[in-house]
Amino acid sequence: MSNTAGGIGAKVMRRFTYDDRTALVFIAPVMAVLALVAVFPIGYSFYISLFQIKLTRPNRTPFVWLDNYIQLFGDDLFWTAVLRTVTFTVMSVTAITVLALLAALLLNEKFPGRRLVSTILLVPWAIPYVADALMWKWIYDSGYGALNGLLYQLGFIDKYVVWLGDQQKTLPLIANAFVWKEVPLATILLLVSLKSIPQDLYNAARVDGAPLLQRFLHVTLPSMRTGFMLVILYETMIAIRHFDLFFVLTEGGPGTASHVLSWEIYIETFRNLSFGSGAAMSYVLALVTFALAYFVIKILGRSV
Amino acid sequence: MASLHDIPDDGSRAGRPVAPRSINYKRRGEIFRWLHRGVIFAGSLAIMLVVLMPVAWLVSSSLQTEAEIVSVPPHWIPDEPTLRNFKAIFAADEGPVSYETRNRQDPASGSFIPSTAKNLLPAMFNSFAVATLVVVLNLLVGLPAAYAMAKIRFWGRTGSVYFILATRVIPDIALVVPFFLVIRNLGLLDSILSLVVTYLAITVPFTVFILIQYFESLPDELDKAARVDGCSRLQTLTHVYLPLSLPSIVAVILFAFLTSWNEFLLALMFTQTVSSQTLPIVLASFTSDFTISFSFINAAGLLAIVPPVIIAIVFERYIVSGLTAGAVKG
Repeated sequence: MSNTAGGIGAKVMRRFTYDDRTALVFIAPVMAVLALVAVFPIGYSFYISLFQIKLTRPNRTPFVWLDNYIQLFGDDLFWTAVLRTVTFTVMSVTAITVLALLAALLLNEKFPGRRLVSTILLVPWAIPYVADALMWKWIYDSGYGALNGLLYQLGFIDKYVVWLGDQQKTLPLIANAFVWKEVPLATILLLVSLKSIPQDLYNAARVDGAPLLQRFLHVTLPSMRTGFMLVILYETMIAIRHFDLFFVLTEGGPGTASHVLSWEIYIETFRNLSFGSGAAMSYVLALVTFALAYFVIKILGRSV
Repeated sequence: MASLHDIPDDGSRAGRPVAPRSINYKRRGEIFRWLHRGVIFAGSLAIMLVVLMPVAWLVSSSLQTEAEIVSVPPHWIPDEPTLRNFKAIFAADEGPVSYETRNRQDPASGSFIPSTAKNLLPAMFNSFAVATLVVVLNLLVGLPAAYAMAKIRFWGRTGSVYFILATRVIPDIALVVPFFLVIRNLGLLDSILSLVVTYLAITVPFTVFILIQYFESLPDELDKAARVDGCSRLQTLTHVYLPLSLPSIVAVILFAFLTSWNEFLLALMFTQTVSSQTLPIVLASFTSDFTISFSFINAAGLLAIVPPVIIAIVFERYIVSGLTAGAVKG
């Protein structure tokens, strides 16, 4: 038996088949790219969060262990931002799921013009969030916007109303712009789930004499459980980190009414130039996302 | 309603020869069918209105003059449609905008078309360049990897699939700080290269996932036959599977392109000047400036919406099947 390094290397190589080696070469580029742009930054982000890095004091960056996290969890502003993020997320995801279910039930029927409706429904999905934001910003405009104009002409209001500038209305209005853009994707996901329900189940229910509503409650909804789980988890992941609409529509305002977590991270990092605590905050957000993702992966992993 | 339940179900439904007593069913069927049609019509109409009305308002606003856009209540259809906003975007720069010249375009009012209007076309070009590069890189690294994970039984296969799935859910906002520090140290701030590299993080996992799903749906026998005929793995991929997987490749191209075209957060962090700013960045810079006419902002918004909407309408089939594959396997 050879003890040289080459000999061992050759032995190791022989244990891998041709397929093993080809596969390695094939997946190497993806692994390298993802290691560089996904795994490394996530690790590096945690490392940064252990330091006090202020770009206003570039030469003093002490290692502070978990101080950034401890400060964060003791900070009322952080918890208010968490609460706002949760409010926004619950509102949005509930609306998205219900509306997407209705749209999916509709598109599951066969009728002339179905293709047209499903194509139109794809439009909000395709447009950039920034364009979605500026469109709704103009609709909500308190001076000349369409929402005021429409409600005024229909007689629902007798003078123009302040929309985004009203702290009570800000989050629901931003959520509306978010829902408008997210429903199409959720509809497609639910439609897949709806189409995969075996027709036999309906036939059996029909033979048993179950009326339409009963069939819906006892066959359709339970069979879509995986679909619902996926939509709710996926949309929650998107909603808790959403940033674009908050940037364009309100910049966190009025006052602090739309200071959600992602806006807080942006302010802390790029306005206060405090990279350590900003990284800590974004790491908390990432951990929550990963916890949600664990379930998504379990669902998706089943299909691999 | 209760009376309907009193009638015992004898199993007879529309289309079958029925006993006289079942005339009730026929009428019920008729009523139900009309109700069904009514609900479908109302639902379709609601979807179309909710989707199209905001967009129509955007288009209408982009064509209005300054006098019209500030009318109360709003003019839903412009009385005198004008293309001045689009002229400002597409026409060559007409000299510097100063206090004296800024009202020149529309003397009727104090409308303001920003001097930065000329940045829109370069920004569009940047968006296009970034998106195209991201698409090419996605295919280069994604195709072989997806083929290997779908068709080759190798050591560590399941592990790599889960790795791809895990990277797919990393939130972009968690990448911003580390990316920023690294990119700043590399001197790549304000370069579209920094966008191309970071966009890979948010597109590649999805690309690989869709391609795996598609390759798995193709029969293994193709693979075996090609291998028996003496094809190498690479030849099997390029000669056998690539031509068959065109639909999924189209879907991947569309997703990578649209994601890059629409991305905002990372672009906001890493771009500073016209040389690297993408379309969403320039758009967002307009919306925070109260001196800019809303009709101009809407025209700029329309510019950003048109390419992705055309893509979505033309390639609807590919997009839906791609999203479907990326989510759940039916």
